[in-house]
Amino acid sequence: MDFFDFGLILASVIFIAGAARRIVRWFAAGKSTAPDRNSLNPIKAVWALIFDGLLLARTGRTDKLRWISHTLVFFGFMGLLLFHALDDYVTAAFFPAFESTLDPWQWLRNLFGLMTLSGLAYMGHRRFHTRTVRDTSRFQDWAAILLVAGIILSGFFLEASKIISPAVFTRMTNEFFVPDEAGDMTALKAYWADEYGVVFPETLPMDEDTLEKGAELNQDSCADCHSNTKSAFVSRPLATAMMPLANSLNVSRADKVFWYLHIVFCFIGLATLPFGKFFHPLSAPVNLAARQGRRDGAPAGPFAQMVGLDACTRCGECSVRCSVAPSYAVLGNKDILPSEKLVSLGKYRSEGSLSGHDLEDFAQGSRICTECLQCTDICPVGINLQDLWLTSKPEVAAESPDPNQAVRAMDAVTRSSGLGEEPCLPPVYGLADNKESFHGCVQCTTCTSVCPVVAVSEDPSTDLDLTPQQIMNLLRMGLKDETLGARMVWSCTTCYKCQEHCPQNIKVADILYELRNTAAARIGRDRFKGEC
Amino acid sequence: MKVLQTRVLILGGGATGTGLARDLALRGVKCILAERRDINAGASGGNHGLLHSGARYVASDMEAAIECREEGEILKRLAPQCIEDTGGLFVAVEGDNEQYIADFQAMCDRSKVPARKLGLDEARAMEPVLSDKLIAAYEVEDAAVDPFMLSLDNLAHAMDHGAEYVRNARVVGFDVENGDIKCTRLRNERTGEEFLVEAEIVVNATGAWAGQVAELAGAKINILYSAGSLIVTQDRLTKRVVNRLRKAADADILVPGGTVSVLGTTSVTVDDPDHCKPTVSEVDRIIEDAKAMMPVLETTRYIRAYAGVRPLVLSGDAGDARNVSRGFSLIDHAGDNVDNFVTITGGKLTTYRMMAERTADMVCKKLGVTAPCLTAVEPLPASTMGRWTEPGLGPKSWIQDRNADDLVLCECEMVSRTAVNTIVENMGEMRGESMLQAIGLRSRVGKGPCQGGFCGLRITGHLYDEGHQQGQQGMDELRQFVGRRWRGFSPVLWGLGMVQADLQEALYCGALDLELDDDDETCGDE
Amino acid sequence: MTQDNTLYDVMVIGSGFAGMAAALFAAKRGLKVVQAGSTGGIDFSTGFIDLMGVHPISEGKRWMNPWKAIDAVVADHPKHPYGLMTSDEISASIDGFTDFLAEQGLEYVGNDDRNTCTLTSAGTVKRTYRLPKSAWKGAEAFESKAPTLIVDFNGLKGFSGNQLVENRKERWPELRTVRVDFPNGKGELYPEHMAWALADPANRVKLAETVMEHAGDAEYIGFPAVLGLIDPQKIVDHLEELTGKHIFEIPTMPPSIAGPRLRAVFDRGLPALGVQTLSQKMITGATMDGGVIHFTVGKGKAANTVSAKSCILATGRFFGKGLKAQRDKIIEPVFGVPVCQPEARDEWHGEAFFDKGGHPVNLAGVEVDSHLRPLGVDGSPMHDNLYAAGAVLAHHDWMRMKCGAGLAIATAYKAVVELAK
Repeated sequence: MDFFDFGLILASVIFIAGAARRIVRWFAAGKSTAPDRNSLNPIKAVWALIFDGLLLARTGRTDKLRWISHTLVFFGFMGLLLFHALDDYVTAAFFPAFESTLDPWQWLRNLFGLMTLSGLAYMGHRRFHTRTVRDTSRFQDWAAILLVAGIILSGFFLEASKIISPAVFTRMTNEFFVPDEAGDMTALKAYWADEYGVVFPETLPMDEDTLEKGAELNQDSCADCHSNTKSAFVSRPLATAMMPLANSLNVSRADKVFWYLHIVFCFIGLATLPFGKFFHPLSAPVNLAARQGRRDGAPAGPFAQMVGLDACTRCGECSVRCSVAPSYAVLGNKDILPSEKLVSLGKYRSEGSLSGHDLEDFAQGSRICTECLQCTDICPVGINLQDLWLTSKPEVAAESPDPNQAVRAMDAVTRSSGLGEEPCLPPVYGLADNKESFHGCVQCTTCTSVCPVVAVSEDPSTDLDLTPQQIMNLLRMGLKDETLGARMVWSCTTCYKCQEHCPQNIKVADILYELRNTAAARIGRDRFKGEC
Repeated sequence: MKVLQTRVLILGGGATGTGLARDLALRGVKCILAERRDINAGASGGNHGLLHSGARYVASDMEAAIECREEGEILKRLAPQCIEDTGGLFVAVEGDNEQYIADFQAMCDRSKVPARKLGLDEARAMEPVLSDKLIAAYEVEDAAVDPFMLSLDNLAHAMDHGAEYVRNARVVGFDVENGDIKCTRLRNERTGEEFLVEAEIVVNATGAWAGQVAELAGAKINILYSAGSLIVTQDRLTKRVVNRLRKAADADILVPGGTVSVLGTTSVTVDDPDHCKPTVSEVDRIIEDAKAMMPVLETTRYIRAYAGVRPLVLSGDAGDARNVSRGFSLIDHAGDNVDNFVTITGGKLTTYRMMAERTADMVCKKLGVTAPCLTAVEPLPASTMGRWTEPGLGPKSWIQDRNADDLVLCECEMVSRTAVNTIVENMGEMRGESMLQAIGLRSRVGKGPCQGGFCGLRITGHLYDEGHQQGQQGMDELRQFVGRRWRGFSPVLWGLGMVQADLQEALYCGALDLELDDDDETCGDE
Repeated sequence: MTQDNTLYDVMVIGSGFAGMAAALFAAKRGLKVVQAGSTGGIDFSTGFIDLMGVHPISEGKRWMNPWKAIDAVVADHPKHPYGLMTSDEISASIDGFTDFLAEQGLEYVGNDDRNTCTLTSAGTVKRTYRLPKSAWKGAEAFESKAPTLIVDFNGLKGFSGNQLVENRKERWPELRTVRVDFPNGKGELYPEHMAWALADPANRVKLAETVMEHAGDAEYIGFPAVLGLIDPQKIVDHLEELTGKHIFEIPTMPPSIAGPRLRAVFDRGLPALGVQTLSQKMITGATMDGGVIHFTVGKGKAANTVSAKSCILATGRFFGKGLKAQRDKIIEPVFGVPVCQPEARDEWHGEAFFDKGGHPVNLAGVEVDSHLRPLGVDGSPMHDNLYAAGAVLAHHDWMRMKCGAGLAIATAYKAVVELAK
C-alpha cells in the first residue's frame, strides 16, 4: 500500500464514520415523532434541491455578490472534483479519448481552479470587511476557505512545477517517444522548452531548423496526448514566473513536493468534511429538501431541527440581518447573534447543558431574541432558526440564573453617562427631544397593543422593561435617560405597526429607532473613551 | 355624638393651616387640623407654585419683597425636597412701560433683592422660547415650589409630633359661652354625620372662607375675594420662572413645575369663594396677553386650567384687588368678644411659614406656652405622604423596582399600582372616603394629558380589587373625580385637548353610559 | 408626488363605521371605490351597534324600542340625521352591514325592534341594538340573572371583575368573580396579544381548566373580550365545549379587541369587493374641477393625487379629525365645509362633564340637504357630488343619544343611495 492509498483509505474511514455519526443523530432525534418526514412531498423537495440547493436561489435574491462567489466556488470545485479528481470514473467514462493533459480538460481545469479561487477571494474579503461577519468568524470558517484555497493553489503550483520539470519530460519521453535519429531528442527538447515551457538544465540549440524538427516530432508523438501548456492559462504564467528559480526547483523535484501537498490537502478536506461547517455541502441539501422551499417559522419536528442544526454554512447573513444585532454591539455577547447562538445550541444539545458563563450568554441571547423571523427568512440553506429558538428558549429559561442581568448591565452603561454634557457628540435634537412629537398622544395604548415584540414577550416589564407607550410618556416628561437602557428600545424590530396604527400619527417607531442610535452612540463613546 | 378634645383646633388645611399644625406640634402643643375637603383645597392649591424672590413686589410693597426674600431663603435651606431652585427672569417686551424698566434695578437694590441685568441675547440663550421683541431682561432668584408636597410634608411632620388630621370636615357652628368658644361643631361632608371638637383655642386658617367661618362665631372680617386663573401646558417650556417686567398685571408669570409649566394669572373679584372656576374667556385672555412674552404660548398644548381665590382683607374701602395688600392678616378676635378665637388669612405661599410662626406665637401666648418656634431652624423632613406629588418620581421608582406584577395604572405620569397602594396605606384612618380624589391630590394621577380619562377608570377598578370600594361608591367617586377634573379641563378644549375630550366622552358616555342613572335597570318597553 | 390615473366613481374619506359602511355599500352597488383614512375610527369601537337609545337626553330617558325612539327624536329635532331617511332604509342598512360581517365570519345578533341590555366593563348596563354573537350569552345571563362567573386576569388593566360584581350584586346576587392567571401570561397583558394567544387550542384548554376550578354552579362564564381576533365564535364554542357552560365576552376599555376585529373584517372584505384602500393615509387637500374632485393623499414627498367623480365625507368628529377645534371656531379641514356650531367657545361645553343636557358642541357638525350633501355658506350644496355621513353630521349627539354606529351606517347607506341616483 503506498502513501496515496493509505491516505485515501484513512481519510475515507474518517469521513464515513463522521458522517454516519451525524446522520444517525438526525434519525435518533427524529425517532419519537417525525411528522416532517411523513409530510415530505418529493416533487417539492426536488424543486427545493434544484432551486435553493443547486442554483442558490435564496442567496441570489438577497445578495448578488455572495451568490456569484458561492456559485463560482461551487461549480468550480464540482468541476474539479468530477472531471479532475474523479477523472478515471467520470471523464474517462464519458469521453473515451480523455487525457488529462489534453484540451479542453487542461484548459477547463485552470478555469475551474480560477473560478474557485476568485470565489474564495470574495468570501475571504467579505468575512474580513463585513463587521458582524468578521466578529462571528471562527477558526473553522477561515480554515474552510484556506483549505479549499490550499487545494487549488497547490494544484496550480503542482501543474506549474510539472510544466517546467525536465524530469517529468524525461518520464514522458521514456514512455511515449522513441527517437529515430540523433538530434531528435534535442530537437524535441528545444521545441518543448520553447513552446511548452520546460526548463532544461543544458543549453539547447534554438535555431529555426531544430525547432521545426521538434515541432514535427511533437506532432507525431506527443500532441495527441498533450496539448500545448499555454492553454493552462493559470499554471503556465505561474511556471513562467517560476523560471528564475527553475533549476533549483527541478533539482529538488518541486513537482513531487507539490503533489504531496496537493494530495494531503485533498485528504484533509475529505476527512474533515463531516465536521463543523465542512459538512454543509451534504447537510444543507438535506435541509433544503426537508424544508421544501418554505421560509416560515412554523414548528418543525425534531428530525428537521437536528438537520437544521447541522446545515449551517456559517455565512453569517442571519447575524447581519438580526433585529437585535445592535444589542450585541452593546453587550458584546455573541450569543445574541443567531449564527453564534446556533453553535451554542448545537453544543447545548449535544452536551445536554452548558457550563456557567456559556449558559448565561446563551440564556441572555435567547431572551433578547424578538422572534422577528428575519433569520429564518434570510437563511440561504433554509434553516428554520426561529423554530429552534422557540424550542430552546423555555429550556434555557428554566436553567438561566438572572433574567434581569442584561438590563442591569445596560443600565450601568447608560446611566454612567448621565445627563451631562456630550463632549464627543454634537447635541442631537431629534424627535425624542422635541416634546411636540408627543403633543398628540391621547394615551390610548394602541402602540403597545399592536406591538409584536410586546406580544411575544412573556412579561413585558421584565423582558422589555418598558412598553412603547411608556417610552413615549417618559420622553414627554423629559426622562430620556430612563428609556435608553430599556430592552424595548433594543428589541424593536422597526416593523412600524405602532406608527401605522397610532390614531394621532405619532412617529413611535422612528422615535424608538432614534433612541437606539442615541444609546449606541453614547455607549460607544463610553467604551472607547478618549478616542474622539 | 363624637367629641374630640385637643388644645388647639386649626380650621383649614392649606399651607398656613398645615404649617401652623407643624409649628404647634414642634412646640409640644396638641392640635387637631380639620379641613372641609382635603389638603390645599383652596388658594394653597390654586396658585403658581412660585417661591417669590421678592422682585415682583419691589415696586408695590417693599415690606412684602423683603419678607419673600427672607422666607424664600429659609425654605430653600430647610425644605429643599419641595423646591426646585430654577432661578427666574424678569423680561420686558416692546410696548412695556420703560420707566418701570429703568427703575427696576434700583428698586430691587432698595429691598436687597438680588437682580442682575442680562444682555438680550444672553436672556434668549437662557430661555430660547422668549420673544424676539425683548427689550430688557433681569435674572432673579425665583424658584418653583410644590405646594402639595409642602403641605403634605408639614402635615406628616405635625402628625409625627402628635397632631391629628380630619378631612371632609366642615365647620357648621361654634358654641360660644361667655366670650369663649366652648366647642366647635363639624360635619363630615361625605356622611353628613356631625361631631364636636373641644379646644382651648380655635384658629381660623380657612383662607378665603375666613370671613364666613368667623361669622359663625359672631366675628366680622371684611374680605375681598380675588379669583385668579392659571393654565398648565403639556410640556415644560422654560427652565426658569419667567416674569413680565412691568407693574403687576394679568398673565405675568410662567412657572415651571416639574414636567409642565404654569401660566397665569388673572385677578377677578368674585362674590363667593365657592363659585370660582377658570373660564374660557380668562384662558383666552391669559394666552393673548402672555404670548407677547413667549410666542410659543399661542400654539402649545394646554392640558388644564385651574383657579384659586386670594382672600384680601380690607382695612378700608374696597377697590382694585391688586392694590389691596398681599400681606397677611392675623386677627385676635378678643376684640369681637371671642377670646379664644384667632384668624390668620391672606399672605402668600412664600411667606406661609412666617404667618404660621406669628400665629403660633399668638396662640402660645394665650395658652401660656413658652416653647420657641422651631420651623425657622429645623429642616422639614420629606414624608412618604408627600413624595408622590413629585413629577417624574413615579416612573423613576417604578423602573428602579422593576417588579413584574407592578402594573402602571396611570400611563401619562406612570403611577404604578405600588405607588397607589402606598398612598392608600398612608391615608391611614382617612381611607374609605373620596379615595380617588385623595389619590389624585397626593400623586400625579389625573394630571397628565388624559386628565383622568383612562387612569380614573383603571384606579377605580384597582380600588375595587383591593376591597377599598364597595357597591356603587367607587363609580360615584369616579364620576366626581372626572367631574372635578372637568372644571379645569373644559376651558382649554380646542385642538388636541378637544381630541382628548372627544375620546374621553366617547369612553365614559358613548361606551359605558356613565352619564345615565344606573339604578334604572328596566328592560321593558316604555 | 405620484399620481393614480384611475378615475374612481367615489372617494370615501374615513375609516370609522360610516367610512367602512359607505365603502361597502358603494362597492356592493358596483361602483369603483377608493377609501382613505387613518386608524382611529373603527379601532376604538366597543363592537356594539347602537341604533337609538336615549331621548330626550336632558331627561336621560331610555328607550327599549329604537324605532319609537327614532320617531320621537325626529319629531322633536326635525334636523336630526335620522329625519333624512325612512325606517326601511335604516333597517336595510343595518342588515346589509351585519350580513357582510357575518359573511366574513363575524356574526351579529339582536332583536329587530328591541334594544338588548348588556354589561359593560365598568359594571354599568348598556342598551344596544346589535351585538357580536360572542357577547350574546351575556345578555341572556343578564336578563335571567342566572348564576354567572365573571373571569378577569392578573395583568389585564382596566377590567375588574370585582368592580363589575360590586356594581351589580344587589340585583344579581348570583354574580361572582374570580381573577386567574392567563395561560403563559405574566406581567402586563394586552387584549390583542391575549387574543392571539388563544388562537392556540392548547391555551384554551389550559384556560378552561383554570376557570373550571372556580366555576362551581355558574351557568354562564363571562370573559373580558380577548377570545380571539379572527374567529371569536370558534373560540367561544370551543370553551363552551370544554367547560360545559355558556360563554360570553364583555368589551374591555378601548382600544379593545372589538375594534381590531371589525377592522380585520374590512381589511379582508373590502379589497375583495374591489375597493382600493389607502389605509393610514390622510386626505390633505381637495380641489373641485367641474365634475371631478382631485384629492391630495398624504404629505410631502409621499403624497399622491387621486381623482373621483364623487366623495363621501365620513371623517368623524374631533377624534377622527373630521372636525377641528380652533381656539375661536370649529372648522371642517378637508373641504372647508361650514360647520354649524355654537356662537363662542364658552358655549361649547356644559358646566359638568356629565351634564344632563349634554354638551352643545356635540350637536355641531356639517349641515346637509335632503340628499346628504353638505351645505355651503349660501345654504345650497357645496358640490353636486359631495356627500357626508356619520358623526361629522350636525344635530345629533351620538354619545348620549346612543346612536353612534347605527346612524353612521344608515347615513352612509343613504349617501350611497343618493350618489348612485
